[in-house]
Amino acid sequence: MHCKELESVLETEGLGQLSKDARLHLATCGACQGLIADFNSISTAAKSLPAEVNPPDRIWISLRAQLEAEGLIKEPVEVSEKASWWESFLAAWKPRAFAAVTAAALVLAVAVYVKRVPQNGVSDVAKKQTPVESSRAVPAQVAGVSPAAALPANIAPTQGSGPSKAKELAPSPSESASFTLNQAELDVPNMQLAGNSQVDTALRQNLRTLNAFIAECELRLKQNPQDELAREYLHTAYQQKADLLAAMMESGRGEN
Amino acid sequence: MCASSVIPGTTLGATRRIRPISGAATGQLARQSPAQPVALTEAEAIRLAQAGNAAAFEFLYRLHGRRVYALCLRMVGNPADAEDLMQEAFLQLFRKIGTFRGESAFSTWLHRMTVNVVLMRLRKKSLPTDSLEEAMEPDAENSAPKRDVGAPDLRLTGAVDRVNLERCIEKLPPGYRSVFVLHDVQGYEHNEIADIMGCSVGNSKSQLHKARTRLRDLLQEELRQQAREERKAAKSPTGSLD
Repeated sequence: MHCKELESVLETEGLGQLSKDARLHLATCGACQGLIADFNSISTAAKSLPAEVNPPDRIWISLRAQLEAEGLIKEPVEVSEKASWWESFLAAWKPRAFAAVTAAALVLAVAVYVKRVPQNGVSDVAKKQTPVESSRAVPAQVAGVSPAAALPANIAPTQGSGPSKAKELAPSPSESASFTLNQAELDVPNMQLAGNSQVDTALRQNLRTLNAFIAECELRLKQNPQDELAREYLHTAYQQKADLLAAMMESGRGEN
Repeated sequence: MCASSVIPGTTLGATRRIRPISGAATGQLARQSPAQPVALTEAEAIRLAQAGNAAAFEFLYRLHGRRVYALCLRMVGNPADAEDLMQEAFLQLFRKIGTFRGESAFSTWLHRMTVNVVLMRLRKKSLPTDSLEEAMEPDAENSAPKRDVGAPDLRLTGAVDRVNLERCIEKLPPGYRSVFVLHDVQGYEHNEIADIMGCSVGNSKSQLHKARTRLRDLLQEELRQQAREERKAAKSPTGSLD
């Protein structure tokens, strides 16, 4: 048997049982021994690659929307009492590794926020707001209230005064978290991420896509506050944005 | 086909090479969603999905999505495209689920659709290119590094790491890549791959052999490149690669 013949045997029979002839040739041919050893190395390395990868949640969200739009889903399941996205977020981030990243993200967000609040207590954000918005934002910060009081207009509570209005001014957990995420995002443009331009571009592209999706959900909720689907999608998008920002920060930290 | 199941939420990699259950399997699976605890077999989920049940669609998606996503990701090497292709594959699957009669395993049916979707996309992308047949049998003259059978080569033993391998898999022609990923990464047998790819078992074996041969050449080329860079770095005054 010659080398080419052995290769034909490998092609038809694989790396399993070899015939006597093939084994005899193999015992005396270093090149074919090398070929089989290399094939085994490749096969072993391939087996160490993950056969499963978690897809991003947004794929199912988008797919479900498409199934609904096409009328393929005929029996939508009633969504029972569901934990708030913030609770799910905390639950999902329980593992230590994620907790460390989360803490870092939140510390960064707070640091950015503090940096943006000068000594007199008027933040850059507040400075850019109308007088009415500023008058709301400043006391809130001085009193140590959550920075969500300075939320952008599109997600800020209705303005006004009096006890009922004061209640409205209190930020919801969702608003606070949204603000925190936005603050954490502020540092992303300057961050050198993975050191790999393709990964970097993909992460930034994902963030842009996610922000566009969040904006659309917020708009729909603004138009119809009873739109439960939009609310659910928004909550999931917030979770994904938190995941993505954490991944970006982790990536940036790993390389820098 | 293995009768074990992949339960959503298990740790990445912990379930590798354990195949989703076939349509005939009857073991109970609990969906790990706190909001909607649903216990279904795959066969029940298929029946419910055929009736348009949303939870059944989600169950099937979560049961198979991780393998399908991994396959798409390896085939296109780009998360954005992989997401797009995975969505397209599942959409096609759910559109046609009413026609599923269980002649083949559900996962094989799904993988067949996924591979078709991916190969179609790759064919569209590489414009003046080839038919699906060409994707299976690429022009060896143009796409393969030259190799002399029996000539002394760099040994790969101990030198193949996951990063190098992933990079070289991306360089394989789509047909070779599909068979290699399905067989060596995802653990399918040749008869299953033949079913998925719509080819003969012999063809699947041949494709796998050619894929491994091509990968060997590509990996050896990477090693040579690394060696060249190291020599260059050693010659440079600073001794640095930069």
